[in-house]
Amino acid sequence: MIALVRYMFTVMLLSQRYLAPLLLFVGLLAVLTSSDSGPLAATYGSASGGMLVCSVWLTMALIGLEDQTHRSVVVVTAGSHLRVLLGSVGTAALWCLPLTAAGLVLPLLFGSHTFTLADAILGTEAQLTCAFTGIAIGVLCSRLLFRRQGYALLLALILLLAVLLAKGVSPVNVLLGDLQNASDSADLLGSTAVLLAISAGVLAAAVAATQAISVRRS
Amino acid sequence: MLRCESVSKRYGRGRWVLQDVDLEVSGGDVLAVVGGNGSGKSTLLRILVGLSQPTSGQVLGRPQHIGYVPDRFTAHERVSALSYLTHMGRIRGLSGAAARTRAGRLLDRLALVGGRNAALRTLSKGNAQKVALAQALLVEPALLVLDEPWSGLDASAHGVLAEFIGEVSAAGGAVVFTDHREAITETHATGVFAIGDGRVSPRGGPHSGGRVTEVELALTVPVTGVRPLEVNWYALPGVTDAARRDDAIVLRVAREHSDTVLLTALQHHWSVESLTRPGVDHASRVGARRAAL
Repeated sequence: MIALVRYMFTVMLLSQRYLAPLLLFVGLLAVLTSSDSGPLAATYGSASGGMLVCSVWLTMALIGLEDQTHRSVVVVTAGSHLRVLLGSVGTAALWCLPLTAAGLVLPLLFGSHTFTLADAILGTEAQLTCAFTGIAIGVLCSRLLFRRQGYALLLALILLLAVLLAKGVSPVNVLLGDLQNASDSADLLGSTAVLLAISAGVLAAAVAATQAISVRRS
Repeated sequence: MLRCESVSKRYGRGRWVLQDVDLEVSGGDVLAVVGGNGSGKSTLLRILVGLSQPTSGQVLGRPQHIGYVPDRFTAHERVSALSYLTHMGRIRGLSGAAARTRAGRLLDRLALVGGRNAALRTLSKGNAQKVALAQALLVEPALLVLDEPWSGLDASAHGVLAEFIGEVSAAGGAVVFTDHREAITETHATGVFAIGDGRVSPRGGPHSGGRVTEVELALTVPVTGVRPLEVNWYALPGVTDAARRDDAIVLRVAREHSDTVLLTALQHHWSVESLTRPGVDHASRVGARRAAL
């Protein structure tokens, strides 16, 4: 699995398709968090929103890199469809880690904040919650299920709006609401960890659905 | 080793691409699957390697190490050929150094033009096909599946490909390949399956009782030195090829017409040097013995 992730990471790196989502993320951070001096929880809420969009983009780009023949070779080499899909998800998650680090550090440079350990943990949890949800959307809208990228993009936008707006149902919606109203980061650590676990569950469900549909179609 | 039991396949609600296919592949076999374009050859291969699920029926005993060479290997990637193969070797469980060495040796044998450090997407069709072939052989495969491997390869690579097939089969692995040219399947395969209307049926080869579909007939000037009469070989029934090799003429004749052609040759004072079944040693010896009788 490590070899598979290493291969996919290298291919993505060389293709430079990561560049656009990365720049978008940094741009969003700059716009949303510059000259901000409020509580860091709300600032990290903005960063998480950016992470949601960028992780969808990264995942769709990553899976769309390889054409079907090429993926067939990787599937036979790795031994199963599922292993390759898990490799793609792992690689997408790996790409989200440097974004998470940027999301933690850049707001401190753009604005003036007092930074505590609780802020760092909360920021990481919040961004990873959004990253997992974003990867789940990206996998569902990837080339594995949609030959025509136009439809996939439309569905991705609809799903993004849904997870942002579905009150009380979507972990992202709950998370962003909590972060906006928080005054102390330490109070939210527990509930955000629960949301992180829920979004990991959402990701697992999305992977299972994608696997089932793509194998049926193959 | 690998067994297909009444495998059927259709995509969605479309027509049946394969119907009730029963196929058994054992170690050491070299099987050819022939059929026209769109007859379901590639689908059958995808089911054999586990890329596609059969709509009904099952495939049993699929080995762990499978080499798969698709018919078109279009890579849009910037990684170099050698680095790509190293990654594939690592995914197969080799160490980085071992994968690199093995990949280098395979590319040397295939004489990759354009350099092993050239990006995959800059390679021509034939050279990309060589990389596709190399990735399937990084680990000695127990099952090697090739989809029209001869198309796009140059003449020297044809020889190397035949060597690879021979090596895998000698090491106890099974080889299954497709091609639409009968000459190639006759030369390289120990068994041939024809596919049409979704049905797969054995044709020729030892698997159907050793029926030979084509024989190779070498004719020379007799020892007495009498010049034989010129014959327009292509005008004879069943002759698919007539070539001059040294001072002999080598004919390829469909089995059912070989007696007629032989008789014509003898009547025109040609001497029979050998009568063989092309490609398969065992069968050619049988063929020669039959000719001696």
